[in-house]
Amino acid sequence: MTSPAHEASDRAARWILRQEEPDWSPREEAELEAWLAESSLHRAAYLRQQTGWRAADRIGSLGPIDGEKFDRPQSPFYRRWQPWAIAASLALVVGAGSTLIFSDGPPRSVTQAFATPIGAQQKVVLADHSKVELNTATRLRAAVTAHRREVWLDQGEAFFDIRHREHTPFVVHVGTRSVTVLGTKFAIRRDGTNVTVSVLEGRVRVDATTDAKVKRSTTISAGDVAVVRDNAMLVAEHAETRVENALGWREGMLNFSDARLADAAREFNRYHRRQILVTGKVATDMRIDGAFQAANIDGFTHLLRDAYGLRVTEDGETIKISE
Amino acid sequence: MVDQAALDDWFCREVLTLEPALTRYIRRNWRGPEDVFDLTHDIYALALHGARNGLPAHTSGYVFAIARNHLIQQARRSQIVSIEFLANLEGVGAPPDLTMADRHIDARDELRRALAGLSALPPRCREVVRLRKVEGLTTRETADRLGVGIDAIEQQLTKGMRALTDFMLGGSGKVAWPSRQKRQVRRSE
Repeated sequence: MTSPAHEASDRAARWILRQEEPDWSPREEAELEAWLAESSLHRAAYLRQQTGWRAADRIGSLGPIDGEKFDRPQSPFYRRWQPWAIAASLALVVGAGSTLIFSDGPPRSVTQAFATPIGAQQKVVLADHSKVELNTATRLRAAVTAHRREVWLDQGEAFFDIRHREHTPFVVHVGTRSVTVLGTKFAIRRDGTNVTVSVLEGRVRVDATTDAKVKRSTTISAGDVAVVRDNAMLVAEHAETRVENALGWREGMLNFSDARLADAAREFNRYHRRQILVTGKVATDMRIDGAFQAANIDGFTHLLRDAYGLRVTEDGETIKISE
Repeated sequence: MVDQAALDDWFCREVLTLEPALTRYIRRNWRGPEDVFDLTHDIYALALHGARNGLPAHTSGYVFAIARNHLIQQARRSQIVSIEFLANLEGVGAPPDLTMADRHIDARDELRRALAGLSALPPRCREVVRLRKVEGLTTRETADRLGVGIDAIEQQLTKGMRALTDFMLGGSGKVAWPSRQKRQVRRSE
Protein backbone atom coordinates (compact mmCIF):
# COMPACT_ATOMS: atom_id res chain seq x y z
CA MET A 1 0.00 0.00 0.00
CA THR A 2 2.85 2.32 0.69
CA SER A 3 6.42 2.89 -0.41
CA PRO A 4 9.49 4.73 0.89
CA ALA A 5 8.69 7.69 -1.39
CA HIS A 6 5.12 7.94 -0.09
CA GLU A 7 6.25 7.53 3.50
CA ALA A 8 8.88 10.23 3.10
CA SER A 9 6.37 12.58 1.47
CA ASP A 10 3.84 12.08 4.25
CA ARG A 11 6.49 12.65 6.87
CA ALA A 12 7.77 15.73 5.02
CA ALA A 13 4.26 17.17 4.82
CA ARG A 14 3.85 16.73 8.56
CA TRP A 15 7.18 18.45 9.25
CA ILE A 16 6.14 21.41 7.12
CA LEU A 17 2.81 21.70 8.89
CA ARG A 18 4.53 21.53 12.25
CA GLN A 19 6.96 24.27 11.19
CA GLU A 20 4.06 26.59 10.52
CA GLU A 21 2.74 26.21 14.05
CA PRO A 22 3.58 29.00 16.48
CA ASP A 23 5.15 26.63 19.01
CA TRP A 24 7.70 25.10 16.62
CA SER A 25 10.76 24.56 18.82
CA PRO A 26 14.55 24.42 18.38
CA ARG A 27 14.38 20.79 19.47
CA GLU A 28 12.03 19.99 16.60
CA GLU A 29 14.24 21.97 14.26
CA ALA A 30 17.14 19.74 15.26
CA GLU A 31 15.02 16.63 14.76
CA LEU A 32 14.01 17.81 11.32
CA GLU A 33 17.63 18.51 10.38
CA ALA A 34 18.55 15.00 11.49
CA TRP A 35 15.71 13.47 9.50
CA LEU A 36 16.71 15.41 6.40
CA ALA A 37 20.31 14.32 6.78
CA GLU A 38 19.25 10.67 6.95
CA SER A 39 18.70 10.23 3.23
CA SER A 40 18.52 12.11 -0.03
CA LEU A 41 15.02 10.74 -0.46
CA HIS A 42 13.90 12.49 2.74
CA ARG A 43 15.43 15.75 1.59
CA ALA A 44 14.01 15.49 -1.93
CA ALA A 45 10.52 14.75 -0.62
CA TYR A 46 10.74 17.61 1.88
CA LEU A 47 11.94 20.18 -0.66
CA ARG A 48 9.27 19.08 -3.11
CA GLN A 49 6.41 19.35 -0.61
CA GLN A 50 7.69 22.68 0.67
CA THR A 51 7.97 24.13 -2.82
CA GLY A 52 4.51 22.99 -3.86
CA TRP A 53 2.86 24.08 -0.63
CA ARG A 54 4.44 27.54 -0.77
CA ALA A 55 3.55 27.91 -4.43
CA ALA A 56 -0.05 27.47 -3.36
CA ASP A 57 0.21 30.44 -1.00
CA ARG A 58 -1.50 32.51 -3.67
CA ILE A 59 -4.76 31.06 -2.45
CA GLY A 60 -4.31 33.24 0.58
CA SER A 61 -4.50 36.38 -1.55
CA LEU A 62 -8.04 35.56 -2.56
CA GLY A 63 -9.87 35.85 0.65
CA PRO A 64 -13.29 34.21 0.54
CA ILE A 65 -13.89 31.63 -2.16
CA ASP A 66 -17.04 30.17 -3.68
CA GLY A 67 -19.47 32.36 -1.75
CA GLU A 68 -19.27 30.08 1.23
CA LYS A 69 -19.78 31.76 4.56
CA PHE A 70 -16.64 33.53 5.61
CA ASP A 71 -17.85 36.02 8.14
CA ARG A 72 -15.52 34.69 10.78
CA PRO A 73 -12.96 36.93 12.44
CA GLN A 74 -9.34 36.52 11.48
CA SER A 75 -7.19 34.74 13.98
CA PRO A 76 -4.03 36.37 15.37
CA PHE A 77 -2.00 33.73 13.52
CA TYR A 78 -3.48 34.94 10.25
CA ARG A 79 -2.56 38.53 10.87
CA ARG A 80 0.97 37.60 11.73
CA TRP A 81 1.94 35.99 8.49
CA GLN A 82 -0.74 36.44 5.92
CA PRO A 83 0.26 39.80 4.40
CA TRP A 84 3.63 38.38 3.48
CA ALA A 85 2.59 34.98 2.34
CA ILE A 86 1.95 36.25 -1.16
CA ALA A 87 5.30 37.87 -1.55
CA ALA A 88 6.98 34.80 -0.16
CA SER A 89 5.31 32.40 -2.52
CA LEU A 90 7.94 32.27 -5.22
CA ALA A 91 9.47 28.95 -5.89
CA LEU A 92 12.80 29.96 -4.43
CA VAL A 93 12.51 27.96 -1.27
CA VAL A 94 15.65 26.72 0.29
CA GLY A 95 16.98 25.46 3.57
CA ALA A 96 14.94 24.39 6.49
CA GLY A 97 14.73 27.07 9.11
CA SER A 98 11.75 28.03 11.15
CA THR A 99 9.29 29.34 8.65
CA LEU A 100 6.82 32.18 8.54
CA ILE A 101 7.08 33.29 12.11
CA PHE A 102 9.88 35.32 13.49
CA SER A 103 10.42 35.19 17.19
CA ASP A 104 12.38 38.33 17.81
CA GLY A 105 11.82 39.12 21.45
CA PRO A 106 11.14 42.69 22.48
CA PRO A 107 14.41 44.54 22.91
CA ARG A 108 15.19 45.99 26.32
CA SER A 109 15.50 49.73 26.73
CA VAL A 110 14.39 50.73 23.27
CA THR A 111 14.95 54.41 22.93
CA GLN A 112 13.25 55.21 19.65
CA ALA A 113 10.64 53.70 17.33
CA PHE A 114 9.85 54.74 13.77
CA ALA A 115 7.16 53.73 11.31
CA THR A 116 6.07 54.77 7.84
CA PRO A 117 2.63 54.17 6.32
CA ILE A 118 2.15 52.71 2.83
CA GLY A 119 3.59 55.01 0.18
CA ALA A 120 5.58 57.17 2.59
CA GLN A 121 9.29 57.46 3.31
CA GLN A 122 11.12 58.98 6.23
CA LYS A 123 14.69 59.99 7.01
CA VAL A 124 15.84 59.80 10.61
CA VAL A 125 19.10 60.52 12.41
CA LEU A 126 20.04 58.26 15.29
CA ALA A 127 21.81 59.29 18.49
CA ASP A 128 25.23 58.35 17.04
CA HIS A 129 24.56 60.50 13.95
CA SER A 130 24.01 57.47 11.76
CA LYS A 131 21.29 58.10 9.21
CA VAL A 132 18.45 55.78 8.36
CA GLU A 133 15.95 56.12 5.53
CA LEU A 134 12.74 54.17 5.92
CA ASN A 135 10.91 53.04 2.80
CA THR A 136 7.18 52.40 2.45
CA ALA A 137 5.34 50.42 5.16
CA THR A 138 8.36 50.05 7.40
CA ARG A 139 8.75 49.69 11.14
CA LEU A 140 12.06 50.13 12.92
CA ARG A 141 13.12 50.32 16.56
CA ALA A 142 16.48 51.67 17.65
CA ALA A 143 18.51 51.39 20.85
CA VAL A 144 21.55 53.54 20.33
CA THR A 145 23.69 54.68 23.26
CA ALA A 146 27.36 55.36 23.84
CA HIS A 147 28.08 51.67 24.38
CA ARG A 148 25.63 49.95 22.19
CA ARG A 149 24.15 50.40 18.75
CA GLU A 150 21.28 48.12 17.83
CA VAL A 151 18.20 48.46 15.66
CA TRP A 152 15.35 46.09 14.86
CA LEU A 153 13.85 46.13 11.39
CA ASP A 154 10.43 44.71 12.17
CA GLN A 155 8.94 45.23 8.75
CA GLY A 156 9.75 46.74 5.38
CA GLU A 157 12.95 48.22 4.03
CA ALA A 158 15.54 50.72 5.16
CA PHE A 159 18.79 52.29 3.97
CA PHE A 160 21.53 52.76 6.54
CA ASP A 161 24.38 55.25 6.46
CA ILE A 162 26.32 54.21 9.53
CA ARG A 163 28.89 56.36 11.33
CA HIS A 164 32.13 54.52 11.92
CA ARG A 165 32.84 53.86 15.60
CA GLU A 166 35.83 51.69 16.34
CA HIS A 167 34.65 49.56 19.24
CA THR A 168 30.91 49.73 18.95
CA PRO A 169 29.60 47.70 16.04
CA PHE A 170 26.21 48.64 14.65
CA VAL A 171 23.83 45.67 14.61
CA VAL A 172 20.61 45.43 12.63
CA HIS A 173 18.32 42.63 13.79
CA VAL A 174 16.03 41.28 11.11
CA GLY A 175 13.87 38.53 12.50
CA THR A 176 16.19 35.79 13.67
CA ARG A 177 19.15 37.26 11.83
CA SER A 178 21.47 40.12 12.40
CA VAL A 179 23.65 42.27 10.20
CA THR A 180 26.74 43.73 11.83
CA VAL A 181 28.76 46.68 10.58
CA LEU A 182 31.32 49.17 11.79
CA GLY A 183 30.73 51.95 9.30
CA THR A 184 29.17 51.64 5.87
CA LYS A 185 26.16 52.26 3.65
CA PHE A 186 23.74 49.48 2.89
CA ALA A 187 20.05 48.62 2.60
CA ILE A 188 18.05 45.83 4.17
CA ARG A 189 14.69 44.66 2.98
CA ARG A 190 12.46 42.28 4.82
CA ASP A 191 9.91 40.36 2.78
CA GLY A 192 8.26 37.77 4.95
CA THR A 193 11.01 35.23 5.55
CA ASN A 194 13.22 36.72 2.85
CA VAL A 195 15.87 39.19 3.88
CA THR A 196 17.84 41.04 1.22
CA VAL A 197 20.99 42.97 2.07
CA SER A 198 22.45 45.29 -0.61
CA VAL A 199 25.77 46.95 0.12
CA LEU A 200 26.64 50.34 -1.38
CA GLU A 201 29.85 51.03 0.53
CA GLY A 202 32.11 49.13 2.91
CA ARG A 203 31.49 45.66 4.30
CA VAL A 204 28.81 44.08 6.41
CA ARG A 205 28.53 40.73 8.14
CA VAL A 206 25.29 38.84 7.75
CA ASP A 207 24.57 36.33 10.49
CA ALA A 208 22.13 33.47 10.30
CA THR A 209 21.29 33.06 13.95
CA THR A 210 18.25 30.89 13.46
CA ASP A 211 20.11 28.26 15.42
CA ALA A 212 22.11 29.76 18.26
CA LYS A 213 24.37 26.71 18.43
CA VAL A 214 25.54 26.95 14.84
CA LYS A 215 26.84 30.45 14.31
CA ARG A 216 27.17 31.04 10.60
CA SER A 217 27.96 34.32 8.99
CA THR A 218 29.10 35.74 5.70
CA THR A 219 30.81 39.03 5.03
CA ILE A 220 29.77 40.87 1.89
CA SER A 221 31.19 44.06 0.42
CA ALA A 222 30.22 46.99 -1.75
CA GLY A 223 28.34 45.90 -4.86
CA ASP A 224 27.19 42.62 -3.31
CA VAL A 225 23.65 41.50 -2.63
CA ALA A 226 22.81 38.75 -0.14
CA VAL A 227 19.41 37.10 -0.08
CA VAL A 228 18.76 35.12 3.05
CA ARG A 229 15.91 32.78 3.65
CA ASP A 230 15.54 30.34 6.48
CA ASN A 231 18.99 28.80 6.86
CA ALA A 232 20.10 29.53 3.34
CA MET A 233 21.97 32.44 1.89
CA LEU A 234 22.60 33.35 -1.72
CA VAL A 235 25.20 36.00 -2.44
CA ALA A 236 25.48 37.85 -5.74
CA GLU A 237 28.94 39.38 -5.93
CA HIS A 238 29.81 42.44 -8.01
CA ALA A 239 26.14 43.04 -8.63
CA GLU A 240 26.48 46.82 -8.78
CA THR A 241 23.48 47.20 -11.06
CA ARG A 242 21.35 45.16 -8.72
CA VAL A 243 22.45 47.26 -5.78
CA GLU A 244 21.66 50.39 -7.72
CA ASN A 245 18.24 49.04 -8.68
CA ALA A 246 17.59 47.96 -5.11
CA LEU A 247 18.31 51.49 -3.89
CA GLY A 248 16.25 53.29 -6.52
CA TRP A 249 13.43 53.82 -4.02
CA ARG A 250 15.54 56.44 -2.25
CA GLU A 251 14.96 58.63 -5.30
CA GLY A 252 11.35 57.51 -5.46
CA MET A 253 12.13 55.25 -8.39
CA LEU A 254 11.49 51.59 -9.10
CA ASN A 255 14.13 50.16 -11.42
CA PHE A 256 13.46 46.97 -13.30
CA SER A 257 15.83 45.07 -15.49
CA ASP A 258 14.17 42.15 -17.23
CA ALA A 259 11.65 41.82 -14.41
CA ARG A 260 8.49 39.79 -14.84
CA LEU A 261 5.43 42.01 -14.97
CA ALA A 262 3.97 40.14 -12.02
CA ASP A 263 7.05 40.98 -9.96
CA ALA A 264 7.08 44.60 -11.13
CA ALA A 265 3.42 44.90 -10.13
CA ARG A 266 4.22 43.50 -6.72
CA GLU A 267 6.85 46.21 -6.28
CA PHE A 268 4.32 48.93 -7.12
CA ASN A 269 1.83 47.34 -4.75
CA ARG A 270 4.15 47.92 -1.81
CA TYR A 271 3.66 51.67 -2.26
CA HIS A 272 -0.07 51.82 -2.81
CA ARG A 273 -3.34 50.82 -1.24
CA ARG A 274 -4.67 50.28 -4.72
CA GLN A 275 -3.26 46.98 -5.88
CA ILE A 276 -2.30 45.82 -9.35
CA LEU A 277 -3.45 42.30 -10.13
CA VAL A 278 -1.87 40.72 -13.19
CA THR A 279 -3.69 37.73 -14.67
CA GLY A 280 -2.92 35.41 -17.54
CA LYS A 281 0.33 33.73 -18.46
CA VAL A 282 1.38 36.09 -21.22
CA ALA A 283 0.86 39.21 -19.13
CA THR A 284 2.36 37.68 -15.99
CA ASP A 285 5.54 36.65 -17.75
CA MET A 286 5.93 39.78 -19.82
CA ARG A 287 9.34 41.37 -19.19
CA ILE A 288 9.67 44.91 -17.96
CA ASP A 289 12.71 47.14 -18.27
CA GLY A 290 13.22 50.69 -17.13
CA ALA A 291 12.78 53.16 -14.31
CA PHE A 292 9.37 54.22 -13.02
CA GLN A 293 8.21 56.60 -10.34
CA ALA A 294 6.95 54.51 -7.46
CA ALA A 295 4.24 57.03 -6.70
CA ASN A 296 2.87 57.06 -10.24
CA ILE A 297 0.94 53.81 -10.38
CA ASP A 298 -1.40 55.21 -13.04
CA GLY A 299 1.50 56.18 -15.29
CA PHE A 300 2.71 52.61 -15.10
CA THR A 301 -0.64 51.02 -15.89
CA HIS A 302 -1.29 53.48 -18.72
CA LEU A 303 2.04 52.52 -20.20
CA LEU A 304 1.08 48.87 -20.01
CA ARG A 305 -2.14 49.70 -21.84
CA ASP A 306 -0.70 52.03 -24.47
CA ALA A 307 2.71 50.56 -25.16
CA TYR A 308 2.17 46.90 -24.37
CA GLY A 309 -1.45 46.62 -25.50
CA LEU A 310 -2.63 45.08 -22.24
CA ARG A 311 -6.16 45.41 -20.91
CA VAL A 312 -6.42 47.62 -17.83
CA THR A 313 -9.63 47.58 -15.81
CA GLU A 314 -10.19 49.22 -12.47
CA ASP A 315 -12.43 47.73 -9.86
CA GLY A 316 -12.40 49.67 -6.61
CA GLU A 317 -8.98 49.23 -5.07
CA THR A 318 -7.90 46.68 -7.66
CA ILE A 319 -6.35 47.46 -11.01
CA LYS A 320 -6.59 44.38 -13.17
CA ILE A 321 -4.07 43.82 -15.96
CA SER A 322 -4.78 41.16 -18.54
CA GLU A 323 -4.08 40.37 -22.18
CA MET B 1 31.25 19.93 -1.57
CA VAL B 2 28.35 22.13 -2.57
CA ASP B 3 26.86 24.17 0.25
CA GLN B 4 23.62 22.54 1.39
CA ALA B 5 21.62 25.71 0.90
CA ALA B 6 22.90 26.14 -2.65
CA LEU B 7 22.14 22.50 -3.37
CA ASP B 8 18.59 22.80 -2.02
CA ASP B 9 18.07 25.98 -3.99
CA TRP B 10 19.30 24.38 -7.18
CA PHE B 11 17.00 21.43 -6.60
CA CYS B 12 13.94 23.62 -6.06
CA ARG B 13 14.63 25.98 -8.94
CA GLU B 14 16.01 23.68 -11.59
CA VAL B 15 15.11 20.08 -10.84
CA LEU B 16 11.55 20.39 -9.54
CA THR B 17 10.56 22.49 -12.55
CA LEU B 18 11.36 19.46 -14.70
CA GLU B 19 8.68 17.42 -12.97
CA PRO B 20 6.03 17.50 -15.71
CA ALA B 21 8.55 16.46 -18.35
CA LEU B 22 10.12 13.90 -16.06
CA THR B 23 6.89 12.16 -15.11
CA ARG B 24 5.84 12.15 -18.76
CA TYR B 25 9.15 10.56 -19.66
CA ILE B 26 8.77 7.87 -17.01
CA ARG B 27 5.20 7.16 -18.05
CA ARG B 28 6.26 6.77 -21.65
CA ASN B 29 9.11 4.43 -20.81
CA TRP B 30 7.76 2.40 -17.93
CA ARG B 31 4.85 0.06 -18.09
CA GLY B 32 3.42 0.49 -14.60
CA PRO B 33 1.91 3.93 -14.06
CA GLU B 34 1.54 3.14 -10.37
CA ASP B 35 5.34 3.30 -10.09
CA VAL B 36 5.71 6.84 -11.45
CA PHE B 37 5.67 8.56 -8.07
CA ASP B 38 8.28 6.24 -6.57
CA LEU B 39 10.52 6.39 -9.63
CA THR B 40 10.33 10.18 -9.73
CA HIS B 41 11.43 10.33 -6.12
CA ASP B 42 14.22 7.79 -6.66
CA ILE B 43 15.49 10.00 -9.47
CA TYR B 44 15.22 13.14 -7.33
CA ALA B 45 17.17 11.47 -4.53
CA LEU B 46 19.88 10.32 -6.96
CA ALA B 47 20.05 13.79 -8.53
CA LEU B 48 20.43 15.45 -5.12
CA HIS B 49 22.99 12.92 -3.99
CA GLY B 50 25.02 13.14 -7.19
CA ALA B 51 25.16 16.92 -7.18
CA ARG B 52 26.70 17.17 -3.71
CA ASN B 53 30.20 17.47 -5.12
CA GLY B 54 29.30 19.97 -7.80
CA LEU B 55 26.18 21.26 -9.46
CA PRO B 56 25.81 20.05 -13.05
CA ALA B 57 26.16 22.61 -15.82
CA HIS B 58 23.06 21.32 -17.60
CA THR B 59 20.43 20.24 -15.16
CA SER B 60 17.95 18.70 -17.57
CA GLY B 61 20.60 16.62 -19.33
CA TYR B 62 21.86 15.50 -15.95
CA VAL B 63 18.43 14.60 -14.57
CA PHE B 64 17.29 12.75 -17.66
CA ALA B 65 20.54 10.79 -17.83
CA ILE B 66 19.88 9.68 -14.26
CA ALA B 67 16.28 8.89 -15.14
CA ARG B 68 17.27 6.77 -18.08
CA ASN B 69 19.91 4.82 -16.14
CA HIS B 70 17.58 4.32 -13.24
CA LEU B 71 14.74 2.98 -15.40
CA ILE B 72 17.10 0.59 -17.15
CA GLN B 73 18.53 -0.59 -13.87
CA GLN B 74 15.10 -1.09 -12.32
CA ALA B 75 13.94 -2.96 -15.39
CA ARG B 76 16.97 -5.26 -15.27
CA ARG B 77 16.43 -5.90 -11.61
CA SER B 78 12.78 -6.72 -12.01
CA GLN B 79 12.31 -10.42 -12.70
CA ILE B 80 9.10 -10.06 -14.62
CA VAL B 81 10.33 -7.71 -17.29
CA SER B 82 10.58 -9.27 -20.70
CA ILE B 83 13.49 -8.87 -23.05
CA GLU B 84 11.43 -6.91 -25.56
CA PHE B 85 10.51 -4.38 -22.93
CA LEU B 86 14.09 -3.91 -21.92
CA ALA B 87 15.22 -3.52 -25.52
CA ASN B 88 12.46 -1.06 -26.08
CA LEU B 89 13.45 0.97 -23.05
CA GLU B 90 17.13 1.09 -23.95
CA GLY B 91 16.18 2.26 -27.39
CA VAL B 92 13.86 5.00 -26.25
CA GLY B 93 16.01 6.64 -23.63
CA ALA B 94 16.60 9.98 -25.33
CA PRO B 95 15.65 12.90 -23.12
CA PRO B 96 12.63 14.81 -24.36
CA ASP B 97 12.75 18.26 -25.87
CA LEU B 98 11.79 20.62 -23.13
CA THR B 99 9.43 23.35 -24.13
CA MET B 100 9.44 26.63 -22.30
CA ALA B 101 6.17 25.62 -20.72
CA ASP B 102 7.86 22.63 -19.11
CA ARG B 103 10.65 24.69 -17.68
CA HIS B 104 8.61 27.56 -16.41
CA ILE B 105 5.70 25.84 -14.89
CA ASP B 106 6.40 27.76 -11.68
CA ALA B 107 6.24 31.07 -13.48
CA ARG B 108 2.76 30.43 -14.79
CA ASP B 109 -0.25 31.97 -13.31
CA GLU B 110 0.20 30.49 -9.89
CA LEU B 111 -3.06 31.79 -8.56
CA ARG B 112 -5.09 30.16 -11.29
CA ARG B 113 -3.25 26.93 -10.73
CA ALA B 114 -3.56 27.08 -6.97
CA LEU B 115 -7.30 27.67 -7.31
CA ALA B 116 -7.76 24.79 -9.71
CA GLY B 117 -5.72 22.59 -7.39
CA LEU B 118 -7.82 23.61 -4.44
CA SER B 119 -11.08 22.91 -6.18
CA ALA B 120 -9.80 19.47 -7.20
CA LEU B 121 -9.54 18.45 -3.53
CA PRO B 122 -12.30 16.47 -1.82
CA PRO B 123 -14.65 18.90 0.01
CA ARG B 124 -13.53 18.17 3.55
CA CYS B 125 -9.86 18.33 2.62
CA ARG B 126 -10.47 21.55 0.68
CA GLU B 127 -12.09 23.23 3.67
CA VAL B 128 -9.20 22.33 5.95
CA VAL B 129 -6.62 23.60 3.44
CA ARG B 130 -8.65 26.77 2.91
CA LEU B 131 -8.76 27.47 6.64
CA ARG B 132 -5.00 27.10 6.71
CA LYS B 133 -4.09 29.07 3.62
CA VAL B 134 -6.80 31.71 3.53
CA GLU B 135 -7.63 32.24 7.16
CA GLY B 136 -4.27 31.21 8.51
CA LEU B 137 -5.61 29.01 11.28
CA THR B 138 -3.26 26.77 13.21
CA THR B 139 -4.00 23.06 13.36
CA ARG B 140 -5.52 23.46 16.80
CA GLU B 141 -7.69 26.39 15.78
CA THR B 142 -8.90 24.41 12.77
CA ALA B 143 -9.68 21.41 14.96
CA ASP B 144 -11.60 23.61 17.40
CA ARG B 145 -13.59 25.30 14.70
CA LEU B 146 -14.57 22.11 12.92
CA GLY B 147 -15.07 20.24 16.16
CA VAL B 148 -12.82 17.34 15.27
CA GLY B 149 -9.55 15.97 16.60
CA ILE B 150 -6.12 17.36 15.78
CA ASP B 151 -5.11 14.04 14.25
CA ALA B 152 -7.94 14.22 11.76
CA ILE B 153 -6.96 17.77 10.77
CA GLU B 154 -3.33 16.79 10.36
CA GLN B 155 -4.33 13.88 8.18
CA GLN B 156 -6.51 16.07 5.95
CA LEU B 157 -3.84 18.74 5.73
CA THR B 158 -1.16 16.22 4.84
CA LYS B 159 -3.38 14.81 2.12
CA GLY B 160 -4.26 18.28 0.90
CA MET B 161 -0.67 19.44 0.86
CA ARG B 162 0.44 16.41 -1.11
CA ALA B 163 -2.30 16.78 -3.69
CA LEU B 164 -1.77 20.52 -3.98
CA THR B 165 2.00 20.07 -4.32
CA ASP B 166 1.46 17.61 -7.13
CA PHE B 167 -0.84 20.08 -8.81
CA MET B 168 1.40 23.10 -8.34
CA LEU B 169 4.32 21.18 -9.83
CA GLY B 170 2.35 20.39 -12.94
CA GLY B 171 0.66 17.10 -12.05
CA SER B 172 -3.00 16.17 -12.08
CA GLY B 173 -3.48 16.95 -8.41
CA LYS B 174 -4.70 13.46 -7.82
CA VAL B 175 -2.16 11.93 -5.54
CA ALA B 176 -1.44 8.51 -6.89
CA TRP B 177 -1.83 6.61 -3.68
CA PRO B 178 -0.22 3.28 -4.48
CA SER B 179 -2.33 0.50 -5.94
CA ARG B 180 -5.36 2.70 -6.33
CA GLN B 181 -4.63 4.07 -9.76
CA LYS B 182 -5.21 1.80 -12.69
CA ARG B 183 -4.40 2.44 -16.31
CA GLN B 184 -5.74 0.56 -19.28
CA VAL B 185 -2.72 1.26 -21.43
CA ARG B 186 0.02 -1.24 -20.87
CA ARG B 187 3.11 -1.74 -22.90
CA SER B 188 3.28 -4.89 -24.97
CA GLU B 189 5.31 -7.51 -23.16
